[in-house]
Amino acid sequence: MLQYLLKRLLIFIPTLLAISLLSFGLSKLAPGDPVDQSNRGGMGDAQRDLINAERVYQEKARELGLDKPAFYCGVSPVAFPDTLYRILKREQRENLSKLTAQYGNWEQISDYYHEIKTLEYQVQQLPANQKSDGVFTARSTLQQLYLAHSDVRISSLLDGLATAVEKDTALAPTLLAPVLVLKGKYEAIKTKASRWKLYVPSFKWYGLNNQYHHWITGFLQFDFGKSYYDSRPVAHKMKDALFWTVLINSLAVLAAYLLAMPLGVLSAVWKDTFFDRFSTLALFMLYSLPSFWIATMLVVFFTTPEYGMDWFPSLGLGNLPDEAPFWSRFWDTGAHLILPVFCLAYGALAFISRQMRGGMLNVIGQDYIRTAWAKGLNSRQVIWKHAFRNSLFPIITMFASIFPAVFAGSVVIEVIFNIPGMGKLTIDAIFQRDWPVVYTVLMLSAILTMAGILLSDILYAWVDPRVSYSKK
Amino acid sequence: MLIGVNKEKRLADQLARQQAMGQSYWAIVRRQFRRNRMAMWSLRLLYVLLFIALFGDFIANEKPLYCRLDGQTYFPVFRQYAVTLGLAKWEAQFFQKGWQEHHYESVIWAPIPYSASTIDRKNSNFVRPGGKQRIPSPRFRHWLGTDQLGRDVAAGLISGTRIAMMVGVVSMSIATLIGVFLGALAGYFGDDRFHASRSRLILNLLGLGAGIFYGFNARSYALSEGAFSVELLKSLGILATIMVLANLLAAPIKRLPWFGKKVRVPMDIIVMRLIEIINSIPALLLVLSVIAIIEKPSILFVMAIIGLIRWTGIARFIRAELLRIRSLEYIEAAQALGYSEWRIIFRHAIPNALTPVLITIAFGVASAILLEAFLSFLGIGVPPQQVTWGSLLNLARAQFSAWWLAIFPGFAIFITVTIFNLIGEGLTDALDPRLKQ
Repeated sequence: MLQYLLKRLLIFIPTLLAISLLSFGLSKLAPGDPVDQSNRGGMGDAQRDLINAERVYQEKARELGLDKPAFYCGVSPVAFPDTLYRILKREQRENLSKLTAQYGNWEQISDYYHEIKTLEYQVQQLPANQKSDGVFTARSTLQQLYLAHSDVRISSLLDGLATAVEKDTALAPTLLAPVLVLKGKYEAIKTKASRWKLYVPSFKWYGLNNQYHHWITGFLQFDFGKSYYDSRPVAHKMKDALFWTVLINSLAVLAAYLLAMPLGVLSAVWKDTFFDRFSTLALFMLYSLPSFWIATMLVVFFTTPEYGMDWFPSLGLGNLPDEAPFWSRFWDTGAHLILPVFCLAYGALAFISRQMRGGMLNVIGQDYIRTAWAKGLNSRQVIWKHAFRNSLFPIITMFASIFPAVFAGSVVIEVIFNIPGMGKLTIDAIFQRDWPVVYTVLMLSAILTMAGILLSDILYAWVDPRVSYSKK
Repeated sequence: MLIGVNKEKRLADQLARQQAMGQSYWAIVRRQFRRNRMAMWSLRLLYVLLFIALFGDFIANEKPLYCRLDGQTYFPVFRQYAVTLGLAKWEAQFFQKGWQEHHYESVIWAPIPYSASTIDRKNSNFVRPGGKQRIPSPRFRHWLGTDQLGRDVAAGLISGTRIAMMVGVVSMSIATLIGVFLGALAGYFGDDRFHASRSRLILNLLGLGAGIFYGFNARSYALSEGAFSVELLKSLGILATIMVLANLLAAPIKRLPWFGKKVRVPMDIIVMRLIEIINSIPALLLVLSVIAIIEKPSILFVMAIIGLIRWTGIARFIRAELLRIRSLEYIEAAQALGYSEWRIIFRHAIPNALTPVLITIAFGVASAILLEAFLSFLGIGVPPQQVTWGSLLNLARAQFSAWWLAIFPGFAIFITVTIFNLIGEGLTDALDPRLKQ
């Protein structure tokens, strides 16, 4: 048994590793620049000042750990330099790699890139009173050049820049020469293209100081990182959310079990009676009712005065202040939780009682139950003492594996009822591309699921001595 | 003991009877299935839904089915297909005015004279089904009301049917292909039956690496800037070509001493680990985080992702079946005849293992439809202008007074999901050997 347990726990490791790689890879493929996202607001005037803006950007990138290479190693065409990650701005980095993917000559491309940068600084350092159309065009064209990769687009931008500078008599003496240099650099990219480099693979090793390594070592020490969205530690955000999710899920599972067990037993005992047929059909219907439909309907009909059935408080958890007496807060929150818990419970209820009925039917057909009847025991003793106890095994073990399922289901319910639990946190994080939160949720739910399955296997062996996992 | 003997006798009797009547396995299954009234009704309803999905354009369309305009006869709905395929063009007059604004000499409208995306400005802002509607005649009534923009809900439901059916069929087809293939590998070969020469193994790994490099890394520009689907096909073509070349090359190299040695590949462990990884993340979260990385939302991506994630159940079923089948005599006979392993798997083993997979597919379609409905309910992964059951239901959250938006789309989802669940139940009963009496 111990050996089996160890073996199962060892299997966790590669699975979790694969999931961590998967979620990390997804975050790198996702569009959007996390630094810009994190800098939203808060920048104010600094943004206007180029040098300042760049400094703020770099600081933020360093704080989020995005100034490091993404992974330990990588394979890319020889044309790509292994220092590409040092270009922090994601859109610029992607644009440069698009250029490289076309021409394959990094040296010329990086020359060209640096030339744009120098030119941008020159335009920036022009005296403040020199605010003509030419300066404006130059500034916006340079910004667009950072993001241009097709030949037609770059050529037209460069030509436009050259004419704008030429026309502007104040600018022409200082800027015309650098603009022509820039044009020359771009021509050099095209003439000195080395496309063969795109077809030679090269293996790049970045060492341990990379984003993945930092995240996964932090994760193993229960440091889940900081949210991209509001810079709060992920663990803090989760702690609040976890309380509500665990609360409504436990209430729902508890209610489902308490109702489902007698229902399942009775419909098994009274098999083929009206009660059995009716409850089977009703439970089947319940099982097929999509919970987000039911939740929406409940919200529409029972929480609004629109239809004269405003029986429940509206969405959320109520907003009584913390100073309010405990009991009034308790009742208020309780009233807010009734509908969500109901929506979570009814699906589980149908599932559990179907299982209960099946298990009970299996047991009732056994020989020892016939013996119990033959002994002359009364029906209550036979059903509840002999049959019920023995049919409980699969139901108990299901308990461990039902939690992850309910957890996933509560995503739906929390979003609709606007409950700040884990499900809502996850959906919000996915919408906001707040990857540290998404990683953590994916990893934790995987651990929870696997632990649940393992626990139910162990419970199964524990309650039923016939099941053994050790080798004979 | 006595019970066992009785049972055996009954089974033997039954078998004799079946053989006498010339009943095939399928005939029995069909008869068992027919006995289940609920399942039969579900099947009939499914046919109706499929009909609506296939011919939705003729049921709800803003274009007339037939019309005469200025002495010319048109069949606009049919013509739309030709236009979509690039075979025909619309006359200028059809661009200038809306379809309902022409003065036709004679016209036949579709039963619901609106498309899902038709915006009826006169009836915008949530018009009730039974209430007053500003329409020229009862023929143009919005029987199930409209949404905020004035789009007809009934037409939306019809187009939603098509999407739901497509999601079910496409995603489960992908899942079935992957699941059957991987499950069969795991089940037939197990951990100890799959042997490959070192040369083949090494060359396949190298080929995969090279194929991904030349197909995707080296072509990254074409992939990101060109027409994505065409370039993707080209890339996959390159990958496939390199893999084929690698395998062709493996045959001669195998003759060299070290490369020819056979290595055991534990197929079962590999596939089961993969299944475990996918199953240990709640499907909803996995789908959500994969969809988050897609910049241009499209229903096709949603279907593909659902298919790529939901194959595990099918693979487990096939694996269990093949574990049983692979030790049967007829497989041994096939092996003795010298058939190749692949031929045995695909021609002899899989066809006999497919029936129980139908059950998983039926339940899988239900859960795929539910998942897609929930995604579009959240507005994730589906373009905003696309009308689906989920997106219609979501509108009810914005306007509580619009009860028709809460009831009808949700009911459509419920019915469809129930139908597939009932068919799944019916199949389970029909295929369960214990019930064959």
